[in-house]
Amino acid sequence: MRGFQGYHPAILFLYYALLLLLSLLTMQPVLLLCSLFGAFLLYAALFGIREMLPDLVFYALLFVLLAVINPLVVHDGETVLFFLNGKAITKEAIAYGGAGSLVMITVVVWSACYTELLTTDKILFLFGKALPKLGLILSMTFRFIPLFQKQADRIGQVQRTMGLYNGKNLKQRFGGAYRTFDSLLTWSMENSIDTADAMKARGYGLRGRSSFSVFRFRLRDGKMLALMLLLSGIVLIGAGKGNMDFYFYPHLAEIETGAEAFVYYLAMLLLCCIPGFCEWKESLSWNYLKSKI
Amino acid sequence: MRTKSGNRWKKSLVLLAALAVLILFFGIFGKFETVDEFYLTHMEDITADTEVVRISINCKTILYNWSRLDKQLRDEKYVPANGVILPETAYVYRKGDTAFDLLERVCRYNRIEMEYRGATETGYGSAYIRGINYLNERSCGELSGWMFKVNGEFPGVGCSSVVLQPGDTVEWIYTCDLGRDVGNTYNGAGADYGK
Repeated sequence: MRGFQGYHPAILFLYYALLLLLSLLTMQPVLLLCSLFGAFLLYAALFGIREMLPDLVFYALLFVLLAVINPLVVHDGETVLFFLNGKAITKEAIAYGGAGSLVMITVVVWSACYTELLTTDKILFLFGKALPKLGLILSMTFRFIPLFQKQADRIGQVQRTMGLYNGKNLKQRFGGAYRTFDSLLTWSMENSIDTADAMKARGYGLRGRSSFSVFRFRLRDGKMLALMLLLSGIVLIGAGKGNMDFYFYPHLAEIETGAEAFVYYLAMLLLCCIPGFCEWKESLSWNYLKSKI
Repeated sequence: MRTKSGNRWKKSLVLLAALAVLILFFGIFGKFETVDEFYLTHMEDITADTEVVRISINCKTILYNWSRLDKQLRDEKYVPANGVILPETAYVYRKGDTAFDLLERVCRYNRIEMEYRGATETGYGSAYIRGINYLNERSCGELSGWMFKVNGEFPGVGCSSVVLQPGDTVEWIYTCDLGRDVGNTYNGAGADYGK
């Protein structure tokens, strides 16, 4: 048992799809904050709180920047705070910019976590049989950015070891960055073709090809599935009844505060905290067991 | 695991720089006005020999298409019970006034929200009125939007291309059916919408 990562890939994928759907479709602030909280909880559990700090600052700045930019572009909204060059700067536009950036940050943080949780072997396991091409593309896309970063670091290290372009002046540094990027591009194209060729050579996607996998759908996967469906069902019912509707223009919609709405919020919060909670619990019990040795 | 290079603060610095540039830019080039300063444009009093133009704004058609109106706009605040946002009123005529200039000035004076796309942003070289009093184009069905009449006729061109004469009457009318419900029989209905 290894926290949330230990669950069956189908469960992981379904959870990801559900959360992206819920986070992207709603701009309801409470639901958004629930999703964001869950995402950061998982992020902290996976990468550590200290590691999270620079990212947290980055996202906070991004939030401020978008909340500032949106009212400069959009002048809709009732509550005018002041006029800038004859255009209205409104409270609603600021709120919309903030909410929009929260959606973006939420999705980015969930996705960053999922490169760790839903590894390529799991994606290939999920889609390899039924949709081999989609599976391969998905797995390559998920892996693309981390792989890119890693390779960029490596190329940079080699350059430095060879004594090239490690000067302090700007021209040299740009030269070095350009050289790294240049070889990175060439490498990434070659690499993707190589991957595709290698998969083809192994008969990937052919009929009747068997493959080994360690994933079995266990009882605890079933329990988790039931829990997920229950919680997301409650949230979706709330959305269907219109309780979770939210609009920003021309005036901000009111946030529902009734007992019924509270049930939906709680369901969303619980749903979003599942993975973070599982990972925390796992690392805690692991540390506890280690301390006994 | 992810790489632990020391420059993970760099991306925050980029954002911080962008924010600083933005603040600096608007600090230098921005003209800040409070709401009162903006709206207190003083309009001269009308005397007996002042040349005037008249203007009215109404959205009566919405009252007949209530079910198609966006939910959040179904309110007295946005659609008055009689559909009249601004009853016909006389304003001082200024030389060279276009229908657009008049509307902009009157909306400011009466604190009516108005949104437009300027002449350089539309395809036909004239300003396009996107919304008045939070009633925007397509707020009441796909074919809805603002149109205007000068002296009872639809000019068929954009509002900043119509230069007013003293004594003219401008009516701004909300249509829910590309002008057909307000009596615009112009064949190419739609051409003057700038879509």
